[in-house]
Amino acid sequence: MLLETQRLTKMYGSAVGCAEVSLALEPGQIFGFLGPNGAGKSTFIKMLVGLLKPTSGTATVLGQPLGNSQARRKVGFLPENFRYQAWLSGQELLSFHADLSGLSRSEKSERIPRLLEEVGLADKARARVGSYSKGMQQRLGLACALLPDPDLIFLDEPSSALDPLGRREVRQLMLNLRDRGKTVFLNSHLLGEVEMICDRVAIVNRGHIVRQGRMADLLTRETEIELSLEKMSDELLADLTRLCPSPRRQGPHLILSVPNRAMIPRVVQTIAAHGAELYSLRPLHVSLEELFVDLLEKGDRQDAGEGGERKC
Amino acid sequence: MLTILRLTIKEVVRRKILHVTILLSLLFLALFGIGVRFAYTNLTRNLDPLRFLIVQQFFVLGLFFGSFLVSFLTVMTAVGAISAEIESGTILAILPHPIRRSDVILGKFFGYALLLAIFSLLYYTALSALVTVLTGLPLPYRLFPVLLFTLQPLILLSVTIYGTTLLPTLANGIAVFMLYAVGWLGGMIEQVGYLLKNGTLIHLGILSSLIMPADALYRKIIATVQSGAARSLTGNFLGPFGVQAEPSVWMLLYTGLYILCFVLAAVGRFNRRDI
Repeated sequence: MLLETQRLTKMYGSAVGCAEVSLALEPGQIFGFLGPNGAGKSTFIKMLVGLLKPTSGTATVLGQPLGNSQARRKVGFLPENFRYQAWLSGQELLSFHADLSGLSRSEKSERIPRLLEEVGLADKARARVGSYSKGMQQRLGLACALLPDPDLIFLDEPSSALDPLGRREVRQLMLNLRDRGKTVFLNSHLLGEVEMICDRVAIVNRGHIVRQGRMADLLTRETEIELSLEKMSDELLADLTRLCPSPRRQGPHLILSVPNRAMIPRVVQTIAAHGAELYSLRPLHVSLEELFVDLLEKGDRQDAGEGGERKC
Repeated sequence: MLTILRLTIKEVVRRKILHVTILLSLLFLALFGIGVRFAYTNLTRNLDPLRFLIVQQFFVLGLFFGSFLVSFLTVMTAVGAISAEIESGTILAILPHPIRRSDVILGKFFGYALLLAIFSLLYYTALSALVTVLTGLPLPYRLFPVLLFTLQPLILLSVTIYGTTLLPTLANGIAVFMLYAVGWLGGMIEQVGYLLKNGTLIHLGILSSLIMPADALYRKIIATVQSGAARSLTGNFLGPFGVQAEPSVWMLLYTGLYILCFVLAAVGRFNRRDI
């Protein structure tokens, strides 16, 4: 595994930063880490990059325990609330970070101009960082994160300061990284962006992971399918009800709640076995936003029922 | 560590801290020079045999103000070495790199130390040259006091660096200045104690020197910079600003250990700190 955590926990006194987070990442994917503000997303990343010491639990990054300097050589990080030395030029800043990453002179001279070009700052390379807009600083931060040619890149809200065009470029950049076999750990609350590009996601609320898995599975699980049927008999309806309880009619369509994707072929086989005519079958996906809001509201209701805040 | 050291020096230069300090120091030396010129002419009119001793008093006064200047510069440059970077978020992008946290502390410490040592050396040399040129009497340029004056800022620097790993920038600045004031006031009390032959005051001064040895080092410098006769005159002429009893070599050793302990404490504290 490229990244693996076991019950990783960070407590700030009696307050929960992150509680018993266990997850595993394989190489070559974009992993979305979602949650509302204050959910513990940044706390989790900060533990993985060595800024915070975990209270309990274990973690390995690139197969090495947290803090291992060999592993840190191949990890990139774009913090959320960062600022760079305003009195350095963009080129000098990258050179400084390249030195910190232990890059050789030849690696520096090859990578710095290429990355400045990639993030669209080649013509501003000699300007002071203090004169950069927030969006330009965000791009520069991305270049810094990519300097060591990392196998694992943590991006904490990489698009937050960017305009729509900039966001699209960053999305494309992440997709390119994945195509090159890199793994991107994306911390974001921009659900549309995450839904567009992430292969796997974990949703975190109040420090706890409330759901994780493949994006496709999360969005089709417990979802509905819409059938356009002719010649439906009562026997067929009874069989379909056994497979998917509580079917309902919506105009000319029959709506079924399927517990998982594997059920869909069985529904089709049942329809065919009864000799009914199936004209269309359309999965009614739940959007990531709906899933996200649903999980958070469910958590709030549970907390209200329990009458207190969850503790680690 | 060298990467952080280079960045620290570049920061001091780029943020014009060095420019402003050098410019103001030149202004200070010019003002001091005018004062020395007129005072020397007036004082030596009737005291010609004591000319050489009077010149040394001027030099000591210059060192006294120079010590202040260097101390303020030390605190002002290093007060936010870590805390300001945490407050602004620049440290977030530095620490995840494959570097040790101790490298960050030591890189900053030695970066500031190098600049402050160069500044102190230049100040001492310029002051010595100025007094010599204006009075026409050559001052002995002894290596030992030069070395002590050059290393003097390390005391406050080590405390400031430790404070910056522990406290917010403003609180650190206030704490270090207060500590410096304790050492300075304690030094004065000690000298008064010697003048009045009061053991309690002397012990109080020694205790304050153990808490903050910057003033004791200054007394050591002015004791070693002067000839025996001039030292005696300084005691009477400058009163609590002079030196009645020269701090021992044990005080120097204690000061070295003091610096080392604060730097190590800063490293230990920063290693444990959550960012």
